[in-house]
Amino acid sequence: MNRLYLVAGGLLVFAIAVVAKLVDIQMVKGVEYKELAMQKTERMFTIQPNRGNIYADDGSLLAASVAKYEIRFDANTVTKKDWDKNIGSLCDSLAVLFDKPSSHYRQMLRKARVNKNGYKLIARNVEYLEYARMRKFPLFKYGPNKGGFMETHRVVREYPLGKMAARSIGYERIDDQGHFTRVGLDGAFGAAYLRGNEGKRLKQKSAGSQWKPVGFDNIIEPQDGRDIITTINTNIQDIAHHALLKQLEYYKADHGSVVVMETKTGEVKAISNLGRTEEGKYYEKLNYAVGESHEPGSTFKLMSLVAALEDKVIDTSAIIDTEKGRWRIYDRTVRDTKWGGYGKISMAKAFALSSNIAFAKMIHENYKENPEKYVNRLMNMGLHKNLELPIVGEGNPVLRYPGDKGWSGISLAWMSHGYEVAMTPMQTLTFYNAIANDGEMVKPRFIKQARVGNKVLKEFKKEVINPSICSKETVRKVQRLLKDVVEKDYGTGHRLYSKSFSMAGKTGTCQKNYVAKDPDKLAYISSFAGYFPADNPQYSCIVVIHEPDKSVGYYGADVSGPVFKSLAEKIYITSPVVDEVVPENPKAELIEKSYKSFYAHAQKQYQVVPNLKGMSGMDAIAILENLGIQVELQGNGKVKKQSVSEGTNIKEVKKIVLQLS
Amino acid sequence: MKMKKGLLDILKGKFLVSGDAPKNWLFLLFASFLAAMMISSSHQADRKVHEIAELNEEVRALRSEFVETRRDLQQLKLESSLKNTIAVKGLKPSINPPQKIIVKTAE
Repeated sequence: MNRLYLVAGGLLVFAIAVVAKLVDIQMVKGVEYKELAMQKTERMFTIQPNRGNIYADDGSLLAASVAKYEIRFDANTVTKKDWDKNIGSLCDSLAVLFDKPSSHYRQMLRKARVNKNGYKLIARNVEYLEYARMRKFPLFKYGPNKGGFMETHRVVREYPLGKMAARSIGYERIDDQGHFTRVGLDGAFGAAYLRGNEGKRLKQKSAGSQWKPVGFDNIIEPQDGRDIITTINTNIQDIAHHALLKQLEYYKADHGSVVVMETKTGEVKAISNLGRTEEGKYYEKLNYAVGESHEPGSTFKLMSLVAALEDKVIDTSAIIDTEKGRWRIYDRTVRDTKWGGYGKISMAKAFALSSNIAFAKMIHENYKENPEKYVNRLMNMGLHKNLELPIVGEGNPVLRYPGDKGWSGISLAWMSHGYEVAMTPMQTLTFYNAIANDGEMVKPRFIKQARVGNKVLKEFKKEVINPSICSKETVRKVQRLLKDVVEKDYGTGHRLYSKSFSMAGKTGTCQKNYVAKDPDKLAYISSFAGYFPADNPQYSCIVVIHEPDKSVGYYGADVSGPVFKSLAEKIYITSPVVDEVVPENPKAELIEKSYKSFYAHAQKQYQVVPNLKGMSGMDAIAILENLGIQVELQGNGKVKKQSVSEGTNIKEVKKIVLQLS
Repeated sequence: MKMKKGLLDILKGKFLVSGDAPKNWLFLLFASFLAAMMISSSHQADRKVHEIAELNEEVRALRSEFVETRRDLQQLKLESSLKNTIAVKGLKPSINPPQKIIVKTAE
């Protein structure tokens, strides 16, 4: 009896244990297990949207996402018969496509076959058109199961202009931690337009490794990214890029940039940034034009002059003594490039000659009692603020205020000609463009529209930073002076002068790394900023080249000027010269009369041969040939004799001989 | 006891031959029709899935083809590359702008 209880008790304990485990599995760990089971059979798939394209202003592609293929070969699935029959021609086809010897592929594929390699790599990064061709190759055309042709693909960003404007077109990357690297326009407009929205879809495992969508819940359709239309013009970009490259290579410079902007609208038509590699090649390294704030040097004289003219502390005709090319202020010396100096010259000439002394003296003398006034004036023109460009990493300008750290007694003199201040090329260009645009400061713009297919989603309009940075009178004066820089034979930019087209601008040759006082380290920044044509400007442009080889040259007009000129020239060459003529209408009664008689003849539906005598040969031919009759002429002038007489039915006539006199 | 009898009847197939059999037959037909519908619609859904996958594939292929063709064209069109191509034939870009003469009549 006792033993029975023992067994029953044991069974009870066992039963309780089973129940306890059941509860544990169902309730406690249940959630986890259910999820595991679901994962094996059902899964939520993320569907990546297609990233939007970036277009140039004429609809050319600047960036688009395309598939690149990786082709592999399964050497095991192919039958001996197919192998023997096709392997030769397949290798030949591959050899032609990839420009490698046929024997290379023959050896490779044979080895794969011998080693029973089921996943032999044939080629990586194959473009779609090549992939489409490969699919039709002998053996491959039998598909994956019989031909062993295997492909995987991934989506990559393609840049149809190649390296051109690469930093400005940019890209967007996301790392494992979810941090974004945002470069150029692709980065700047990624979140707002290009990325699109991910889709989600619940899928169930079906036969093999296929996943099939289930249910109507949990469906989020992916939304493809929107396209953006930029302001970049591929032609201007092409010219800018190659002109800059040529100068950088010739002067072995460290880096440089060029920006072309449409004067009225602020649309950036071209932006090129090239940096040197250790091997002396150039590529789009960084967006210097947007990101690099540097001392502008002489191009800043325009800002100083505008400030002084606005404050009416000087006029362009005022005479300044530039002395002997050296002017001491406290313990420092301002120098002009010409040994012996320019002597006493007008402010206008000082601008064209780019005299540092004239500007240092003019600003220092007039503002030393009240330096705030000068800085305030520059600030009024917005020179202390950045442009809030969409491209990430815009450099901030430096404009010190009296009393700020770094401000000293010589600050005014140095600022006057572009030292102790810093601006990015874009910021300098924006100012020059404002002068070209009669005082209206327009924000540089990179994009025009965001679109879905052909539907415009958002239009980006012209943005005015300051409707008038200075008086019309000042604008007119400095416009004249900017023109003089190139036109006048003493101007620093006169080497760029061309009879056929006009340009206006200012050269800049600025010292860099001068603090070390080591002549080996001393380098230059050569720049040219301006606009063209000089009257009624269409485009403004800045060219900045850093650290040209001093032994080759470093003056702004020599190093950067030619890039500016080739752009101005190209725009000039491609814009047709329009001439309107109103011709005097001579009274030609005779012609009128003979035309009228011909017209009357031509309108008639002849059934019989007309009388052609007295008619000019030319008219007679036209009439007869329109009737389907062959004509032979003898002589010149008017018809004297016709071989078929008047009144003959046309249907009977094949040929008429006309005698003219 | 009653339940056992009912079960036996079903197994014997009595409901197919007894008095009210036609009614049962009708229901059976309806049920098999429903089953057929379900199977066919599920097949159709499967076919749609494949069709969509194929179309997506085609879209991707066409998109890639468009971009690649467009890229090649754009590169051919660039003045810098065109200049090199025509240089062989002794041609070079003009250094004068095109002249456009508009003739207006007096009236």
